[in-house]
Amino acid sequence: MKKNIWTNYLIAALLVVVFLVPVIYILLSSFKPINELFTNTPAFFPRKWTFDNYRGALATGNFTKYIFNSFIVAITSTFLAVIINTMSGYALAKFRFKGDTVIMIMILSTIMLPLEIIMVPIFQVLKFFGLYNSLWALIIPPAATPTGIFLMRQYLLTIPDEIIQSARIDGASEWKIFTKIILPNAKPAIATLAIFSFMWRWNDYVWPLIAISDPKKYTLQLAIANLTGEFGTDYNSVLAISAVSMIPMLIVFIIFQRQFVQGTMDSGMKG
Amino acid sequence: MSVKSQTYRSYLLKQKIVPYLFLTPNLIIFSIFIILPAFIGIYYSFTNMSLFTFGTPDIIGFDNYRALWSNEEFKAALWNTIKLVLVTVPLMFASSLLVATLLVQPIKAKGFFRAIYYWPVMISAIVVGIIWQWILSQDFGLFNAILTGLGFDPIRTFINPTFAWWSVVFAIVWSRTGYYMIIFVGALLSIPETLYEAAEMDGANKFQKFCFITYPSLRAARLMVFILVTMEIFKIYPLVVTLTGGGPFDATEFTVQHIYETAFQRYNIGLASAMSVVMLLIVTLFTGFNFFMSRRGENK
Repeated sequence: MKKNIWTNYLIAALLVVVFLVPVIYILLSSFKPINELFTNTPAFFPRKWTFDNYRGALATGNFTKYIFNSFIVAITSTFLAVIINTMSGYALAKFRFKGDTVIMIMILSTIMLPLEIIMVPIFQVLKFFGLYNSLWALIIPPAATPTGIFLMRQYLLTIPDEIIQSARIDGASEWKIFTKIILPNAKPAIATLAIFSFMWRWNDYVWPLIAISDPKKYTLQLAIANLTGEFGTDYNSVLAISAVSMIPMLIVFIIFQRQFVQGTMDSGMKG
Repeated sequence: MSVKSQTYRSYLLKQKIVPYLFLTPNLIIFSIFIILPAFIGIYYSFTNMSLFTFGTPDIIGFDNYRALWSNEEFKAALWNTIKLVLVTVPLMFASSLLVATLLVQPIKAKGFFRAIYYWPVMISAIVVGIIWQWILSQDFGLFNAILTGLGFDPIRTFINPTFAWWSVVFAIVWSRTGYYMIIFVGALLSIPETLYEAAEMDGANKFQKFCFITYPSLRAARLMVFILVTMEIFKIYPLVVTLTGGGPFDATEFTVQHIYETAFQRYNIGLASAMSVVMLLIVTLFTGFNFFMSRRGENK
């Protein structure tokens, strides 16, 4: 028994190496001077620490702009996602109406139509609506997510009908019921949806790829990808920018770890 | 109810409209940005639409589909993707179940380990590509430095098609195990402890316990993971952009990249749309097959 436990710890530690060390190595590499990067005997830790790669990245590209764009998109889209997906989740959880099954199936079927497969016509639709090269194209369409609707619906099913009914008898309008009763009561699910949405938008590459060609509108991920493509790979800058791009997610993850785990379990188990 | 019948009737009417109003924003977005494009895509696949067609393209029937049948590049990319699904799905399955099994053992600091294993899930596919491209880089990478340090010859990593292909598999499994691990942890924790106790009393060993209790109890989670991973790998693209760029010699070019290039670099929207339709049918076939197999297991 005792021996068994030590094997468990040994495997656990080994997995820490597998999952964590590559990321740490990249972070450390971003602080290496060029001669330590481009050598065939690289060391794990920088011998000499430098911020040159960060300075270089800021000087060559418009990286403060890209970071700004990514933040605008992630925050605005998340805000929108919370509102509209909670609204839909509420309708599907607390109302019986004609066509509710049809709408449910329609929402389900959108999972089977991933953006990557229908990107060509989506590109045409974006152009038709004047959303091409607009950050709105990265904010509005991805905000509606079937996963978000299901997450909210499952959670809102647990809110007792009596609270809603008594508010109705008191003469509250439906919108007021939604903002004053449903939204505050759904906080845990909203937190989960918000952090997932932030992550999806922050890490997104395919929507920006389709919708944006103007370098002024680039998001961080699009900028990183283009930097590796066009100029060969400008590694010293790329490493620094990649490191920077991970920081917001790291902070979000440290604060909301519990919600991430819970959210993954919920979406996975209840889907 | 103490409400007057007049107000009650208008209340009922309102109750009928309200849910639709709440659903409106989502339904508008789904209709415009998913359902409409899906139909437009099917329409395009029967036309000679190009990126520079203004106005209506000509309907050319099944010509695009016939062209696909003899399009070796597309067939190669599609077969490459199917191979990737067939190889990666079981690997992802095994690795996430293994890590999950470890996390339900009685060990301390479970939360710490779980957080570390989950962390790569939070990294964008673009950056995951950068991380492994840098570590596996032929001339400057840590991987080859370790190999030479141990006295082996360095590997021509991204010049070797086989190595490049497996590096994609590895990067997917590395970055996504944490996600599916959590789904399995949830499922493992919901298996009643009494089942294991009963099996122990009957003298079952670890392997038997896994085969006859754990594995069958995971049916719902298994189906979930199978479908999610299959979908995820069919639409693989961003990771490849920074990891291999599709090379060497298209060894890591998968369907989405091929569709993207056909549409936006060769401007052939009609052909690209036909590719999308074919791919959609194949994805549906795969997920449908998974679903069917798991249902069949249920009836037995």
